[in-house]
Amino acid sequence: MRYFLSSILKVIPVLLMISFIVFFLVRLTGDPVSLMLPETATDQQREDLRQSLGLNDPIYIQYFTYMADVIQGDFGESFRYNQPAIDIVLERLPASFTLAISSMIIATIIAVPAGIYSAIKRNTFADLIITGSSVLGKAMPNFWLGIMLILILAVQFSIFPVSGSGTIAHLVLPSITLGTAIAAEMTRLIRSSMLEVLGSEYIRTARSKGLRETIVVNKHALRNALIPVVTIMALQTATLIGGTLITETVFSWPGMGQLLVQAVNARDMAVVQAATFIIAILVILSNLTADLTYRFLDPRIKYED
Amino acid sequence: MTEPLLDIKNLRIRFRSDEGTVKPVNGVSFQVNEGETVAVVGESGCGKSLTSLSILGLVPSPGEVFEGEIRLQGKDLTKLKKNQMRKLRGNEISMIFQEPMTSLNPVFTIGNQMTEVIKLHQQLDKKESINKVVEMLDLVGIPEPERVVRQFPHQLSGGMRQRVMIAMALSCNPKLLIADEPTTALDVTIQAQILNLMKKLKDELNTGVILITHDLGVVAEVADRVVVMYGGEVVEEAHVNEIFDNPVHPYTRGLLSSVPKMTGSVEELGAIQGSVPTPSQMPKGCKFHPRCPIATDLCKDEHPNLEETLPNHFKRCFHMEGGSIYEQHKRETTT
Repeated sequence: MRYFLSSILKVIPVLLMISFIVFFLVRLTGDPVSLMLPETATDQQREDLRQSLGLNDPIYIQYFTYMADVIQGDFGESFRYNQPAIDIVLERLPASFTLAISSMIIATIIAVPAGIYSAIKRNTFADLIITGSSVLGKAMPNFWLGIMLILILAVQFSIFPVSGSGTIAHLVLPSITLGTAIAAEMTRLIRSSMLEVLGSEYIRTARSKGLRETIVVNKHALRNALIPVVTIMALQTATLIGGTLITETVFSWPGMGQLLVQAVNARDMAVVQAATFIIAILVILSNLTADLTYRFLDPRIKYED
Repeated sequence: MTEPLLDIKNLRIRFRSDEGTVKPVNGVSFQVNEGETVAVVGESGCGKSLTSLSILGLVPSPGEVFEGEIRLQGKDLTKLKKNQMRKLRGNEISMIFQEPMTSLNPVFTIGNQMTEVIKLHQQLDKKESINKVVEMLDLVGIPEPERVVRQFPHQLSGGMRQRVMIAMALSCNPKLLIADEPTTALDVTIQAQILNLMKKLKDELNTGVILITHDLGVVAEVADRVVVMYGGEVVEEAHVNEIFDNPVHPYTRGLLSSVPKMTGSVEELGAIQGSVPTPSQMPKGCKFHPRCPIATDLCKDEHPNLEETLPNHFKRCFHMEGGSIYEQHKRETTT
């Protein structure tokens, strides 16, 4: 518990840094006033807007005003949607979250058994097939796989909808697209981690005790092999929630990635800042989860340190 | 004479690869009786560890036993099915490994790892097997066994972990215990404790022990009989006193003279010239001849057989009176 609290305290400076970077980066990209007003606007109109947005204040005052609002959950209004920016971002969050989790589930279902199997059958035909397909999976561009899946499963056979969101059926194709790509990488990771563990002395001890090979592999080896994999999985999940622009675009999936790119193009500063903030918090949270899982899996890491 | 507990006959192990076949164990035979400690001695790479792993059927892939017999109370282990072999492991034959720091699984508690083997072989329920674990830990001299049961390996010292390994290996009262350099990784003071412990337990449980080591001090301490291995074969075998008082094979003599003694001058500490040949570059003839001080042309061409020169004293050397020739050679070179 103390460890948990101290990790949360450590998060605060990180968030401050992020707010700092986000705030100034957006300011560097250009004048928001010229974007918000039509080209025919007079200088007086520009000046009035600048004044009302507080853009004439010294930059550190602007930052502090901004931070005071942010702490209260106010990231400002999106001028494209005329809604609070944070609402627009949070509206997209469930879609991103669902897609990320379902892709991770698919990836895990494929990668864990495949990784274990190719490790215990090392240098056999099965291993060759598995490592071969994971190279293929990694090399295959996401948009291509997505389009192929749409062409075959949605257009040709009409099993799943072509694009959009709302039902579980809508979730299937984008999840497979993302899930298989992650599975490809995870399989290789699990395989090599497993191979290392299987060669260790405690596995020989386990065998010398007369344990069944399934227990040796699934109990003694797997738990050790998963330790490095967990970190990668948590980071992947964070990246997925943060948005996978290409897949979201191919399937018109209303996720964070799409929103963020649109906001950047439109210089919708409030949304960019809110989205970046939320993504940063999610990355921090998933790191924290990875850390906790890591500690659960490996008793050698103590909570006190 | 009663049947030996373990009878290894002409054991040969090969590893096949694209570069060819190597035979790191090539015709090893020896016996272990009940309640007897047989030390298997030799330099690294002589095939002693591989021989012991083959008794458990755990020769690492792609290695395989391709000839010979390993009989445990008359039953040939090399002919057993995987399933039958598994039932013997940890039950009738158990093994202690040389790396106490890494031989226990870091992510499970001592209790978990020990009850596993007890539950497997002795049909005890959870509570009974934990009691058994506590009893075994107590037997090997671990203080506060109830607490250690809940601890992880990293919370114990090397000596304690090795005690845990011994407790685990003995928890199903094996007929045969294989100890592969059980004290190599430990401090000298702990070594003595562990050896005494093994000796005591062996006497109490009447277990046959194969002690694999290159430490002749350990051999003198605990062994009844000694098997000296070189280049994948047995080169000398005799009672422990015979080996120390009257070693015949030049290799055994070399090993003995490389042990520092309390008496005599320090300059006399001998070393065997050269190094152990790798299995793929085994010399023709007697495998020891390139390093042997008394090798003759015969040794270069012909491969000597293991012969009983004195009662219960076997050696693999053409020079039957190897001892005297060796002495003579030594006198000649020193004068």
